[in-house]
Amino acid sequence: MRIIAGVLFISALIGIYIWAYIKNHKTPVPEGCENIKADCDGCKLVSCQLHPDHE
Amino acid sequence: MAELFGLLFTSLIVNNVVLTQFLGMCPFMGVSKKRSSALGMGIAVIFVIVVAAFVTYALYYLVLVPLHLEFMDLITFILVIASLVQLTEMFIKKTSPALYKSLGVYLPLITTNCVVLNVCLVNIQNGYDIGHMIMYSIGTPLGFALVLFIFSTIREKLEISDVPEFFKGNAIALICAAIMSMAFSAFAGVI
Repeated sequence: MRIIAGVLFISALIGIYIWAYIKNHKTPVPEGCENIKADCDGCKLVSCQLHPDHE
Repeated sequence: MAELFGLLFTSLIVNNVVLTQFLGMCPFMGVSKKRSSALGMGIAVIFVIVVAAFVTYALYYLVLVPLHLEFMDLITFILVIASLVQLTEMFIKKTSPALYKSLGVYLPLITTNCVVLNVCLVNIQNGYDIGHMIMYSIGTPLGFALVLFIFSTIREKLEISDVPEFFKGNAIALICAAIMSMAFSAFAGVI
């Protein structure tokens, strides 16, 4: 019973995250903010989407 | 009351999350080249950590403990923090374009910021009551933002200073961070 409750709880959280992610990406970026980038210097993690060389 | 303010001061200065616990080093090194970015990142971190701490604290004691699912705290907190960041970004996009322009771009960086998860976990592991949780959850991000801003001012000065070629960039920045860490360790005797 405890396991089922745990699985249901985590599934609910994952569902909430997926919903929030989809809603966020559907929300249009305000005007003037289309090309802003984080002023990140970039470490050695090229796989990070914020790394300047990641494109 | 004195104990609460002592905890606030300790989490802000003495046990600073960056300089003493060495957490949040990625944004500390990556977003500290300019004061404006450091300020934006600091404010965003403060907001996310305070909200995440409250939500995870409530979830732990109202859901996980009654259902005897304490072992799921880590995965729960990670999912809650990630969802909160998405919701916060969406809310800022819709309500305040000016705010989004200044700090919305840093929100994805905060999702993987270990300082957020640290605050949520420490609140539980140290058995804090609500008062202590509030003080720790406010003091830690304030300490992060303070150190980030101070470091950004130092890095701006370093950019125009005569630094030897092989020390330029992250090398001299890390040396400065080490000196800052030593300076902050002096606060240990205050309380």
